[in-house]
Formats: sequence, C-alpha cells, structure tokens
Amino acid sequence: MEAFLIHNMAPIMFAVLVVVLLLGYPAAFSLAATGLIFALISIDLGLFRPDFLQALPERVYGVMGNDTLLAIPFFTFMGLILERSGMAEDLLDTIGQLFGTVRGGLAYAVIFVGALLAATTGVVAASVISMGLISLPIMLRYGYDRRVASGVIAASGTLAQIIPPSLVLIVMADQLGRSVGDMYEGAFVPGVALAALYAIYVFVVTRLYPRAAPGLPAEALVHREADGKRGVISLAIVAMVAVICAYLFMRTTNVKAGADFVILTMALTSAIAFMVALLSKLLRLGLLSKLAEQVIFVMVPPLALIFLVLGTIFIGVATPTEGGAMGAAGALALALFKRRLTWDLTRQAVESTAKLSAFVVFILIGARVFSLTFYGVDGHKWVEELLVNLPGGQIGFLVFVNAFVFVLAFFLDFFEIAFIVIPLLALPAQRLGIDLIWFGVMLGVNMQTSFLHPPFGFALFYLRSVAPTEPYVDRVSGKRMEPVTTGQIYWGAVPFVLIQCIMVGLVIAFPAMVMHYKSSASEVDPTKIQIEIDLPPPLEFK
Amino acid sequence: MGLLLKFSGIIDAINRRVGTWFALLVLVAVLVSSGNAIVRKIFDLSSNAWLELQWVLFSAVFLLCAPWTLLSNEHVRIDIVNGMLPGRARNAIDLIGHVFFLLPLTIIMIVTSIPFFLRSIRLNEQSFSSGGLPQWPAKSLIVIGFTLLAAQCISEIVKRIAVMRGVIPDPYMERRSALEAEVAQVVEAVEKR
Repeated sequence: MEAFLIHNMAPIMFAVLVVVLLLGYPAAFSLAATGLIFALISIDLGLFRPDFLQALPERVYGVMGNDTLLAIPFFTFMGLILERSGMAEDLLDTIGQLFGTVRGGLAYAVIFVGALLAATTGVVAASVISMGLISLPIMLRYGYDRRVASGVIAASGTLAQIIPPSLVLIVMADQLGRSVGDMYEGAFVPGVALAALYAIYVFVVTRLYPRAAPGLPAEALVHREADGKRGVISLAIVAMVAVICAYLFMRTTNVKAGADFVILTMALTSAIAFMVALLSKLLRLGLLSKLAEQVIFVMVPPLALIFLVLGTIFIGVATPTEGGAMGAAGALALALFKRRLTWDLTRQAVESTAKLSAFVVFILIGARVFSLTFYGVDGHKWVEELLVNLPGGQIGFLVFVNAFVFVLAFFLDFFEIAFIVIPLLALPAQRLGIDLIWFGVMLGVNMQTSFLHPPFGFALFYLRSVAPTEPYVDRVSGKRMEPVTTGQIYWGAVPFVLIQCIMVGLVIAFPAMVMHYKSSASEVDPTKIQIEIDLPPPLEFK
Repeated sequence: MGLLLKFSGIIDAINRRVGTWFALLVLVAVLVSSGNAIVRKIFDLSSNAWLELQWVLFSAVFLLCAPWTLLSNEHVRIDIVNGMLPGRARNAIDLIGHVFFLLPLTIIMIVTSIPFFLRSIRLNEQSFSSGGLPQWPAKSLIVIGFTLLAAQCISEIVKRIAVMRGVIPDPYMERRSALEAEVAQVVEAVEKR
C-alpha cells in the first residue's frame, strides 16, 4: 500500500485535486489545501523533510513581490472606470452611424468597437452588455437575423480576452515565465486577425443571406449635412491628409521603419486629425462635416489611451506595469473630463478591483502551494512523460493540448485553466522546442471559447441578461417585436466558436503572426526598473 | 448558537470594514505607480523605495481584502457539478471545505509566517536593492491577512451550521450573485447616459 502510494503520488494527487475542484469549493483554497494535505502525507512517508512547510511564507512573499502581477489591478481598474465613462456608448452610436447604411454595417461597427474596447477597457462583461443594450435593439429594429446579431455581439465582446492589455495574457506570461510585454506584442496581430475573421464571416453572411444583416435606411441616420449628404467624403479627406502629414513628418525623424514607426505615425495621425477638428469647431470654420467631426472626437479618447498604454509598451518606453498605471490614471482623467467621475463610481471600481485581485492572487498562491508539493513528488516529470511521448511530435502535442483546452473551456473559466493547466503544459512544450509566447497566444485564442461555449459561456450569459426576453414595442418604429430566445443566442455563438478553432489553426500554421515579438527586443533598461526580490532558498527534497 | 452568531457578526463587520478601507489602496497604488513612471521618464530618476511601495500596497490590498471576498462569496468556484447538487449537499461541501481545508491552511500559514516575520524584525531586514524599504512591514501583512482569513473562516463555519439548522436564512441567497450585480451596475451606467 505504502509503496503503491509512493510510486503513484503524483497521479493520485492530481486526481484528488480534480475531484475537490469539481465539488465546487473555491478553487484557491482547494488547490492550496490539496497541496498541503499531500505535503503532510509525504512528510509522513519520509519523502519530504519535516521542515518542508517552512517554505510556505516564502512562496507567498514571492508572489507579493512579483512586479508583473501589479498590472492586474491597474488594468482592471482602468477598465472599470472606462466602462462607466460613456466611451463605449459614444463609440457605438457614432461608428454605427458611419457604417450604418452598408449591408451588415451595424455588425461591422460592433466588431470594430469591440476591438477598440478590447484594447482599452478589456472587460468582456462591459463590452457585451453595452453592445447588447445599444446595438442589439437597433439591429433587431432593422431586421437583423437574431442569431447573427447576438453572435456578433457576444464574440466581439470576447476580443477583450486576446487583444492586449488582457488580464489572461498577464497571467499566462507569469505562468509561462515570459515577459508580459512580449506576450502583448505576440498577441496583437492574432487579435486583430481574429476581428478581421469575424468581419469576413459577416461579409459572407450578407452575400449569402442579404436579409440577415441589412443596411440601415437613410432616415435612420442622425448626422446629415444641410445638402442631405452624409459627409463621409470629408472624413476620408481629413484622414488622408492627416496620414500624409504624419508620414512626412516621421520621415524627417530618425525612427527606423518597423513597428515603432507605424505606432508613432498612427499616434501623430490621430493627433493631427484631432487638432483640425478642434480648430474647425472652436473657430467655426466649418472645415469638416458633422459626421467627420463626431467620428474624430469619439475616436480620440480610445486611441489616445491605446497609445498611452500599448504604444508605450510596444515601443519599449514603459513596462506593462507602468503602462497599466498610466492607463488607469488616463482613464480617471478621461472620466473626470467627461464629468462622469463620481466618488461612488471610484469607490465601486476600487472595491471590484480589490476583490478581483484578491481572488486572482489567491488562486495563484494556491497554485504555487500545490505545485510546491506536486513538483516535490515529481509530478512535473509524470506529466512530461505523458505529453512528450504523444505521437506526432510538436504538432501532435499542440493538437492534443488544444483539443484538451477546448473541451476544458466548456467547464472551466480562463483563470482556472491558466493557473492549473498551463503550468503543467509549459515544461513539456519547452522540451519539444515550442516557443512559449507562441504557445501562450495560441491557448489564449482557444480559451476565448470558454466565454462562447453554450450553455455556460459568460458572454452568452451577459447577453442573455440584457436581451429582450418578452415581446416589446419598438421605441422608434412602434412595431411589436419578438423577444430573442436563448436558443438563438446559443446558435448565434456556434459559428464564432468555429472561427476561434480556425484561428488556432492559423496561429499554428503561421507562427510568424506571433514570433515577430522577437525582432523588437525591449528597450527598457532593466537595471533601472528591476526590483530586487529575495528569492526563496532552493528547496531541498530528500 | 445565538452567541456564536453574534461573534460571527462581529468578525463580518470587521472584515467588511477592513476590506472596504484597504481597497482604497488600489487608488493610491495607481497614483504612486503612474507618478513613478512619469518621474522615471522625464527626470530619469527612480527610487527603489517608491518602486517597492507599489507592490507593498498591492499586497496589502489582496491579503487584507481576501477575507472580505470570502465573506461576499466571490472566490471563484467550479460550479458545474456544484450547481446541480441540492442545497443541503452544497452546504455540506462548504462546511467540510471550511473545516478541513481552509481552517488548517490558514492555521499553518499563521504558524509558519509568525517566525518568518519575527526573524525579519529581529534582523531589521532591509531590502536587497539600495534605498529600498525595510522588509518586515510587508512580511507582517502575511500574518495579519491570514489571521483575518482564519477569523472569517470561523465566522463562515458558524453561519453555515446556522443555515443548515435553519436558524438563519442563507446569506448567499439574500445577496444577488456577483454576476447579476455586475450586470445591473453596467446597465444602470449605460441607461443613465
């Protein structure tokens, strides 16, 4: 009995953890307690030294001093403040107007705004709820297919999971032992490509079933010129001029072509467009159409924040933690400027941030306590043997792992997958020569499905809670409208789950989408920002 | 039972108060950290004390708000099986978890972290980086945090037993789930515009 226990400690420990987690006791404490119980058993069996438990406070202290994790409260707080600052509403209204008359226009607007919100607020719940409240009724009014409408909204909301600055990527970077900045750079292109795939899906739908996503009739547009034109041309001209000016100016500087050049040019372009719009408005020059002015004014806050946070991280002038802090301060400034900042809102935001940080960090502490024992009983070697010997080498491993995570995503949310499963996969992946950033981004796209899988996906839940459940009379048309059924929401999500799978395949097939992070090594001088942390003394197992 | 419930009420009140107050340190951390970033870029200065302050503040937030998070039942669970079980079974799982998992865990953490903290204070342990902060205040947070968590665990045990005996209504039921509350907050904000 004892010999059996000693030889199979790791699999038994893992099985116990699965049972305990499934019973539904909080994951953080289940992990830590399972780790402790097996540590005590191992001490009893003479596998560990009796002073094994002394290492625990060091483990917690190690988590406390982890600079990377600081980005979690910062980005959470930034998102919570932004979601109440009215930015999402302004964007949806205006971009909806801009794309409205095109076939499928509102759906494109939702995807575009979803991507912008993902790069700023990064909160799935807030994106889905705002779009469900603002865009869904309009889509229904003009006869969108309910499945298409709800699928687009739920999926666009989940873009926040993969487009930086997402919390999942921070956790993933921490668990894989890579830098958050690299993870962000690696995830950016696949994130944008994913949004493009959503748009392609909408395009295909509008070609095959034009009635599923019609364009808005002209009378649904608010911003019109005196002569009845929409004013899109004016916007196009301003954009062109701004891009050309920015490009010409950037050519005179000594910034080399590449990502930095693109980022700075884009920042300069928006700044120029904003100045033009501001001058025209203040001096009543009437240079721009109303639509152009409106679009520029609503686009500036999110673009400025994206530059402040992601731009500075990508160029390498700020660490992700600093970027997060700047973003949080920027969000406060924006809310203050829009007169949305109240003490109540701030209080709610800090309290939600504190609770989220507490449960996330406690899962991490739990996971560290679990792994302390699990590695002690050679659990990592057990997992490695299981996974490295899969047929098919690298590709076989990737296919298996992705299928596994895809199935897990039906039952677990991304925090649980990231903390419990990812660390077990890191070592085998590395042994097979897989780049961990590439691996992390791929799994990130995969884990997005945990929001979209019926019936537990959170995005579907959020949409369900704001979509009409009973027949109602439309405010504008006065027509009686049917509710959106839960079945429609579930079926609407299915094509997007498939798109996620395609995207995972694309990331596997074209690693270059991610690997470009290597070309732009961070320019942050590590000697200036590194905090020295006393590492726990090396653990000794008998 | 009445006396125990009163005791549990006091613990709840303390941890709620501690949680709501220390949550404000998030705001302080944002200001300190963005200030650091700006000063580092513009004046090319950086002080290890201020850099270390960031993570000490954050540590205070998550360690001292964890009991309050437990009180409001917001620690993440995997509820796929749990949700299908009858109320009695769920109560039993929580009770068993609190007694055999969380309580021993917090006790072991307290017992091991007190010498860890005392050694630091005795040596007047300083940061490894020059001009950094002394280490013992951060280490004391571990002791305080887990002590409060142990207290909250005892309070939860008392309340769970009272619920199972039908003495009090289930506090988890009274409170709307965190998800619904979150939805309601955002909906309100959007509709106010």
